[in-house]
Amino acid sequence: MVIRSKKYDSMSHEDIFNPDNNIAIEVKELKKYFKGKFETIKAVDGISFEVKQGELFGFLGPNGAGKTTTINILNGLLKPTKGTAIVEGYDVLKDLKKVKELIGVCPQEPAIFKFLNARENIELFGNLHLMPKEELKERTNNLLERLDLLEASKRKTKGYSGGMLRRLNLMIALINNPKIVFLDEPTVGMDPRARRSTWEFIGSLKNTNKTIILTTHYIEEAEALCDRVAIIDYGKLVEIGSPKKLMEKYETKNLEKVFMKITGRRILEGM
Amino acid sequence: MEIQRIVALIKMELKKLIREPAYLFLTLLFPAVLTLTFGLAFNDPELGMSFDFMVPGLFAYACIFIIMTVAQSFTDERAKGLLKRLNTTPMTSGDFMGSQIISNMIIATSQVLIVFLLSILMGFNHNANVSGILLAFLIIALLSLSSVGLGLITASISKSAGTASGLSFIFILPQMFFGTFIPVTNTTRIIAQILPSYYVTDALTSIFNGDALTSTNILIDFAFVSIVSIVIVIIGIQLFKKLGNK
Repeated sequence: MVIRSKKYDSMSHEDIFNPDNNIAIEVKELKKYFKGKFETIKAVDGISFEVKQGELFGFLGPNGAGKTTTINILNGLLKPTKGTAIVEGYDVLKDLKKVKELIGVCPQEPAIFKFLNARENIELFGNLHLMPKEELKERTNNLLERLDLLEASKRKTKGYSGGMLRRLNLMIALINNPKIVFLDEPTVGMDPRARRSTWEFIGSLKNTNKTIILTTHYIEEAEALCDRVAIIDYGKLVEIGSPKKLMEKYETKNLEKVFMKITGRRILEGM
Repeated sequence: MEIQRIVALIKMELKKLIREPAYLFLTLLFPAVLTLTFGLAFNDPELGMSFDFMVPGLFAYACIFIIMTVAQSFTDERAKGLLKRLNTTPMTSGDFMGSQIISNMIIATSQVLIVFLLSILMGFNHNANVSGILLAFLIIALLSLSSVGLGLITASISKSAGTASGLSFIFILPQMFFGTFIPVTNTTRIIAQILPSYYVTDALTSIFNGDALTSTNILIDFAFVSIVSIVIVIIGIQLFKKLGNK
């Protein structure tokens, strides 16, 4: 049974995908606490936001701010302590299987089977999404070509450079042609040229009407790519809006300074 | 459970076996080396050593090491974030555990085939017919189920692949010394009688002696190995779901 948020209760399936009501992700009062030996860590502390379909939405904040925890709740790896998270109309707590069919996840550290080659890695995940054989082959070739790994695709990934592994990490997240893509620090460790080229690729995904959730430390990345950003600090959402509007609101030239004005510290201090 | 997912995961597991030297050694080369070594060292009836007596134990012995490979593999994949990534797909735990069980049954069957062929080469005499040999393979496949379960239990309580290798000997050593080819004393028999490998060795000894496959002894051993293996693998899966996948 499909569980929808109250907002969707009175809507038909078509309504949900109607551009006028195009909410891809709806998060309400989301909390995730981890109980330690001596204290409870509030990794996510009551955040609420919405992401529209086709939007490239950035999560910005220092290490430990709660970005990855929020993403892990949205993709079903973690259960929230409190609050709700609705992905494409499906509650992550009640209809996780359906959510997993609609998403693609690119984790922070490349999670790749090193004894397989690039093609085998991508096809493994495509098979887990039950993709038809022909479609899987075609899409694998397409991704390998677009991200410049076609030549190396039959080599075991054990010998790949960091940049190649990151690109493969991204391809695996996209193999099932997901409606929503979670990109957790996708360009960490890439050289500037590879980073630029990955930005272009991520930007091009917007043309395919995918909703992209991007977490990043790189201010430049967020400014260049994101339609809107949410700034998170100590598990709380401290600001949300388009990079341009936020910079106008705080009368600054970049998002780093916005963050500094709000929190009194630099985003990179947490790294 | 979806066949496409299970087949993809089994293929991946078997590629790991072929392409990772450590796994290849532990799963296929180790039983071969062991059989050849034991065949050469203990095949002297004049000294009262019978290789024929040892072969059923060697079958079980090879399969016991699946505990270590499963424990290492799960802890390693967990540490590298691979299990988490698999969990972000619509794959169910049934798909995943099913693929683990089937791939390890294939591995166990290959191990037995290697041990059996090399044993014959080393002069192993037996009175089993084709049905008996097939039953022996089936019993080993069941033992592999318990090895997967014990591997999962080990992975659940281990934080790294190194720890998992060490801890797996908690389950490997008793089965090695009290349940396979080493004769049991009155004291060690008490321990042996709770170990699946003891019943596997006992059943295989009866089969290779040419006993009727419907003999009470073989049936009791078969029933015990089946029940214990299923119970162990269920405990392993539940424990891994609760503790091991974090």
